Formats: sequence, structure tokens, C-alpha cells
Amino acid sequence: MATFKLELPPPFEEAVRTMEREIMRFLVRSTGDRDDAMDLFQETWLRAYRAYPTLQSADGLRPWVFRIASNLCRNRARDRMRRGRVISSESADADAIANRAPAHLNGASPEGALALKRSIARLPGKQGQALMMRKFAGFEYAEIGAALDCSAESARASVSQALKKLRLEE
Amino acid sequence: MKSNRTAARNNESIDDRAIDAMIGQTRPRIERAMKIIRRPQARVGVIPSQLGRLMIAESDRGIAGIHFLWTDGAERMLAMLRKKFDLVENEASARRVEAEIDRVFKGDFAALAHPLDLSLVESDFKRRAYVTLRKVPPGAVITYHQLAAAIGQPDAQRAVGTTMATNPIPIFVPCHRVIRSDGTIGNYGGGVDNKIKLLRAEGFEVGRDLRLPSGAVMGHRHTKIYCRPTCSAARRADPNNALLYADAGHAQHEGLRACKICKPE
Repeated sequence: MATFKLELPPPFEEAVRTMEREIMRFLVRSTGDRDDAMDLFQETWLRAYRAYPTLQSADGLRPWVFRIASNLCRNRARDRMRRGRVISSESADADAIANRAPAHLNGASPEGALALKRSIARLPGKQGQALMMRKFAGFEYAEIGAALDCSAESARASVSQALKKLRLEE
Repeated sequence: MKSNRTAARNNESIDDRAIDAMIGQTRPRIERAMKIIRRPQARVGVIPSQLGRLMIAESDRGIAGIHFLWTDGAERMLAMLRKKFDLVENEASARRVEAEIDRVFKGDFAALAHPLDLSLVESDFKRRAYVTLRKVPPGAVITYHQLAAAIGQPDAQRAVGTTMATNPIPIFVPCHRVIRSDGTIGNYGGGVDNKIKLLRAEGFEVGRDLRLPSGAVMGHRHTKIYCRPTCSAARRADPNNALLYADAGHAQHEGLRACKICKPE
């Protein structure tokens, strides 16, 4: 048996301290809403704490937390969409629903930003998320892969497909 | 709500200051929730000892786990600890525990005084076995069968065997003081060599045949009398209430007197 070396993940508080800004920024961009972002921020860390014992080492920490955050975003977007359908059947403004789409991006002009946001929201889930992680959270492809449960190559392909689709729309 | 969303869309709105302000607003809520779900802390350290390298985990209540690192299962022990505790690396804490083990080897029989935290012990049976076993003093041994009887389940010697094999706090829950009914010392999770070392440090001269010494005496817990194992009175006594002491000295130290029939030294 190889000599055992004690390697513990960092204490939870330290993980929070080093990553909280990144996570909050990611959530603001993903939800496009500060209140939502703050709710999900709390939920992300509480879930991370509950599941912290399952984390074996420090290596996987960053993609792991991002994965929790991105899953929560996806859940929230799905819930919104369901609620949105009910509202639209009651003849609510369709545009108001589009505004709740889980994407926020910075375009050159407000109109451009809105259009881009809608385009990203229309992308298949994995492509949209991969694109946001790559372009706005500055992830490595390997980290995106870990967060979205696919290979680094597949993550790279998702980002490139997403960009291709966006360019085609322009 | 609307203004929030507009602000979030604006590039300037997510500079570090704004992010920090949002984090600041959320923090009290997180802290309140964390208070409810927070696990207790345990300090984990790896240190060399007379018995090989040990991994020692200690909570605020006491020692929660000890693992002989030359055997498999360190990861399993860590996984069990993580479920119950927030782990932090701390060698100083482990060193304090190791110091007590070291004193045993220097002849201080009562050195293993550290309080224990039995959080890793899930079953009531195991808990009873460990608590009862802790009452077996250094310099005495008990058989698997006797220990099973002592916790009220005389047929459970095999379960007691499993319980000893999965002891999360060896040395301090003295499973090295549990032997076979035929007088051989049996097995040990940390290796038979370590069992012999510990028993020798506590006064037992274990022979090459792994049997306990000829000078060992049977001490009866209720009558407070000790006899030679061959004494007719000892054979009549309930074996479940007897412990085997290394020699007369250890028995006397526990407040027992010599039998008047077999007159052990």
C-alpha cells in the first residue's frame, strides 16, 4: 500500500470565501435578476454544505460548486417556464415571459443585449450553459465538462455550436 | 423587481462592489441556516507512533477515530468521519493523543485517559460492547464470550468479534484486551504484533505460542477474589464475571484479594 497522505478538501468557509464572488457573478448573469441570484446564492452554498462530505478532494471543488449553481439555475428556469405557461394561457404578455428567460448578456446597445439574451435562451440547455460558463465565468473546458457531466471535448463542441448558431442568427 | 432586472443587465451593475454588497446582504441568511445544519468539527492528524503511523481524529467531545495507516481503509474511515464532522487538519491534536499512547509504553498503565466520542458507532449493541470493554482495566483481558455475556447476550461472541474488528477507536477502546476462550490472544485489526506490543506494555508476558503467561490469575468481579485458573473455586464461579489478570499484582491493584484455597502468589 502506498504511503497514505492526508488530503482534505479545504474547510467549507474557505471554499465559500474563495469562490463567493465568482458564484454570485455567475448567478447574476445566469438569472438576470439580482433577487433570484441572491436566493440561488444562498441555496447553492447550503446545498454545497450538505453535500460537502461527498467531495473527496480539493481538485474538483470549483466545477462541483458551479455545477450545483448551474443546476439550481436550470431548475428555476424550468419552474418559471411552467408558471409562464399558465400565465400565457391566461393571455399574459408573451414578452414578459421572454424577459424571464435564464440569460443575461451584455450587448453593445440595450436592444442588442436583449436580442442576444433571447438568442442564448433559445439555445439547447447544454450549449447555452457551456457558452455562459466559457465566455462569462472564464471556465476551462475541462471545468465546464465536469460541471455539465460531459467530456472537455464535448464542452468545447457545445460552446462552438452555440457560437455558430448565434452567428447564423446575426 | 423591474429596476433590479434592468440594473443587472447593465454592465456596471455587476462590478465587484455590487457583487460584494449582494453577498453581504445574503450572508446573515446563510449563517442563520448554517447554524441549524452545521456538523461538529473534528481535527484530523497523521503521526508516527510506537504502533506505526496513525491517523487520529478528535472532536470537541473526545477521540472519534483512530486508524492504523499501514492497513487498508483510511479512506473509508475518512468518509465515515466526514459524514458526521467537518474535518480540519491538525497535527497538534493528534500528537496529544499519541503522547498518551507513548506513556503506556513507558509503563504508565492509566495513561489512556482521553475522553471518547462514539459518534461513529451507529448500533446500540456495539456501543454497549465498547462501553463495557472500557471497564476492563489495563493488565487484564476478557474473552469474546465473556464480553458478550457481560453485555447481556452470552451467545453473541461472534458479533462481539465483528464489533472488535470494526472498532473505530482502537487502543482507547481496548479491543486488544479481548482474547479467545482457549487462552490464545486471537487477532487484531492493527496487526497481531501490535496486539502483543500493547499487551506486553500493559504487563502481560505473551509467550511465543501467543498464549497468555502461566502467572495469570482469574479475578472475580463480584467476590473481588482472584484464583489460579485451575482452582476448584474458580471453576465453580461464573466465568462471565471473571477477568484474566496478567499476575497477582495487577489483580491486587484492582482491589482484589487472593483466594484462600489455591493461594495464588
